[in-house]
Amino acid sequence: MSKRTLPRLLQTPAVFLLLVWMLVPLGMTLYFSFIRYVLNSLRRPEWTSPSLSNWRGFGNYEFVLKSKDFLLAIQNSLVIVCSILFLTVILGVLIAVLINRAFPGRGIVRVLLISPFFVMPAVNAVLWINMILDPVLGLQGIAVGSINDMVEGLRNAPLVGWFFSLWPELTPISFRATQTSALAVIIMVTWQWTPFAVLIFMTSLQSEDQQQKEAAVLDGAGPWSQFRFLTLPHLGRPIAIVVMIQAIFHLSLYAEIEIVSRGNGNKNLPYLIGEFANNNIGAASATGIFAVILANIVAIFLLRMIGKTLME
Amino acid sequence: MGRIQLENVTKSFGDVEVIPPLNLTIEDGEFAVFVGPSGCGKSTLLRLIAGLEETSSGNVIIDDEDMTEVPPSKRGLAMVFQSYALYPHMTVRKNIAFPMRMAGLDEDEQEKRITAAAKALNLTDYLDRKPGQLSGGQRQRVAIGRAIVRDPSAFLFDEPLSNLDAALRVGMRLEISEMHNRMQTTMIYVTHDQVEAMTMADRIVVLQAGVIEQVGSPLELYHEPRNKFVAGFIGSPKMNFISGDEAAKHGAHTIGIRPEHTEVSTTEGLWKGVVGVAEHLGSDTFIHVHDTGLAGTFTVRITGDIAVRHGDTVYLTPQADQIHKFDTEGLRVA
Repeated sequence: MSKRTLPRLLQTPAVFLLLVWMLVPLGMTLYFSFIRYVLNSLRRPEWTSPSLSNWRGFGNYEFVLKSKDFLLAIQNSLVIVCSILFLTVILGVLIAVLINRAFPGRGIVRVLLISPFFVMPAVNAVLWINMILDPVLGLQGIAVGSINDMVEGLRNAPLVGWFFSLWPELTPISFRATQTSALAVIIMVTWQWTPFAVLIFMTSLQSEDQQQKEAAVLDGAGPWSQFRFLTLPHLGRPIAIVVMIQAIFHLSLYAEIEIVSRGNGNKNLPYLIGEFANNNIGAASATGIFAVILANIVAIFLLRMIGKTLME
Repeated sequence: MGRIQLENVTKSFGDVEVIPPLNLTIEDGEFAVFVGPSGCGKSTLLRLIAGLEETSSGNVIIDDEDMTEVPPSKRGLAMVFQSYALYPHMTVRKNIAFPMRMAGLDEDEQEKRITAAAKALNLTDYLDRKPGQLSGGQRQRVAIGRAIVRDPSAFLFDEPLSNLDAALRVGMRLEISEMHNRMQTTMIYVTHDQVEAMTMADRIVVLQAGVIEQVGSPLELYHEPRNKFVAGFIGSPKMNFISGDEAAKHGAHTIGIRPEHTEVSTTEGLWKGVVGVAEHLGSDTFIHVHDTGLAGTFTVRITGDIAVRHGDTVYLTPQADQIHKFDTEGLRVA
């Protein structure tokens, strides 16, 4: 036995387990995506069990591509993921820089800032859509109502009344509607995931070299230049990590979409898979393969972009 | 120009007074070295001059202008840090250009100064590398380059050679000395290494616990230390201190004898002792002698070699005109 054989042999179980763990589900998805496989069919009972004799070729893919929701789902997946990434990274950097300096009560503020991350996604969605974004009973409805009442009252006031009578009456936005449900999902997920970004950026900021900053101060760099030329490049890697991890998580958003609008006007690929999986496993699997491809494209694209802009 | 005056400068961190009222003037073009044991406040003093720390009271005056309230970037000083403090994601070129970029200098002038600095510091081949790809000495040279291009009225060095290995330290020491001779700009250099202080300084400021113990040229400090602390700190190996009867013979509370001012013989001499360790360096020999009846170990340094080893009996005779005398307070007695 050569020197290398034993270590390789000892690695085998782990590698084998990993391969099985990943390849079996992927293989099964691929297999199902090429056959006719439904859960329930009175007309063609032979389709209800997976078998090679039900081979359909690329038929499932064609079916998915032609279905009316597919393009919407891809588009929505991208819009939701990119918006959330953009917002969480910007908010995360700003908040992390803000709380990086010493102030009384910093410990408590930090814990409070992190806490949204510990709320379960479904609970998060229910809270936001019912208690905050609801156009009648939520915070939004109450706020819009109060502003309208106030403006109404001021219209009759002397001197400034004419100004307020120019104001239109505000109407609350219904976030369950077709046009806005994606927005609601973006808002609530951003709220939930900003703490994650803050947490990562905060730890990274603590490892920033203070002497570099002092050198920059002596070199004549103001606060903005220090942020732009030292802090931001220093955060390059953590930003890449946050973007990558969040992209993976948010491509598979489901609970929020289900709770906000049950997919009304706002489907992403996982939600589409869920809908197909009610009966048509073949189509669901084909959509799953599309989702895998999309995830890979997004990952490569995003990482390249971040690598170029920040690590100059 | 670069004349730096400290007037009654103090610094406290909370209730702890790190620097009691302190007065010091560093003349234009001078190479001043602040030296002292760790925690003596020498780095704090440098940071006060740079403006990185605010004075608790007193004034920092640069070229007859009160700079106490002026922000660091406007003081016209450049600083080189112990950890180099290079910007890791920028190339050497961009690192050196950074202060000029912040000052809004035009590109041609920037390029000219970068080229000149790179040439002077042997960095021309490394301009497009990042600090992570450079050795310690090269990084330190980039840090110096970043300081030079600003054309400051004074350079501040905060233990710049501490992170380098011994051989490189000697080389960089020479380079900085030569740079000073060439540029004739004021330099303030902080170190805990008395060899660096002795070799580089025009004037040495010895500090202990934030108090200036003595200011003087290296040889003044060596020949006429004002007190026991300076006497022990300057010179390597350390001065031997003897108190008691032997000191009383010279009419002092304590006498100090430098290792190199003692003669060694295997046959006869004033004091008898046993060799503990003999360090043979070829050019010099350091002998640590025990059981002399004096205080602790007595260290002797002789030029050349002498055939003694552990356990041998030796006789020591101090050179009569090189004995330093100190009173009960530790101050020098003439």
